[in-house]
Amino acid sequence: MSEPFRRVDDRIIVDIPLTLREWLAAMARTTAGDAVDISTSTHHRLLGPIDPTVDHDDPLTQLHRQMTVEGSLGRFIATHMHESLSEDDAEEWIRAFQLMLAAFSAERAIMTAEDRDNLSQQDHYDLITLQSGVSLMIEALDS
Amino acid sequence: MTEFGTDLLERTDTMLDVPWEVILWDDPVSLISLVVRVIKKVFNYDTAKAERLTMQVHHEGKAVVWSGDKETAAAYCVALHSYALGATIQRSQ
Repeated sequence: MSEPFRRVDDRIIVDIPLTLREWLAAMARTTAGDAVDISTSTHHRLLGPIDPTVDHDDPLTQLHRQMTVEGSLGRFIATHMHESLSEDDAEEWIRAFQLMLAAFSAERAIMTAEDRDNLSQQDHYDLITLQSGVSLMIEALDS
Repeated sequence: MTEFGTDLLERTDTMLDVPWEVILWDDPVSLISLVVRVIKKVFNYDTAKAERLTMQVHHEGKAVVWSGDKETAAAYCVALHSYALGATIQRSQ
């Protein structure tokens, strides 16, 4: 069985099933939508103020952070069917996986290792899938 | 200038001198390998320092990963957030 991500020169080859690509893209779209909805736990996790003593970041920081989140998830959605990625896009995939992991964690109120260990079997499987994406892409990028 | 005004200016000057810290918080879903890599990338730290800070976050729940002026602290914090790592800024204690 071949590696899901592997480096060939300056490209990262992506060898993952169509169903997994579609599942990840759907999760990325949901995360992007929730990130801008101030009523969601995902918004507070991804875009809460960097200085906890104030209610909001300054508008410029707020805009920059929102654009960063939308940029990474948008880049992932735009490239999720690609057979190979540039190094920059592969880095955006790592960011997107991390953003999806954070949203997944916020929605399920995973605050501790115990919360994580008590996930349902399906949620545990989904968590491992996202973490594996991060880990395997790091391995490919840094090889 | 009133005494109150002088006091206020002195207090403001003192506050401006206090460095800001970037705090990195533990989270139960981010992998250690990812945290080490991001610390190295964002702060340009060597592997040993990035690993030491990551293990401090893992065992103690948080670590001060950088301190200095507020603007740079905020920029570093935003860079950590781009990888969805939990980070905040605060004045040095």
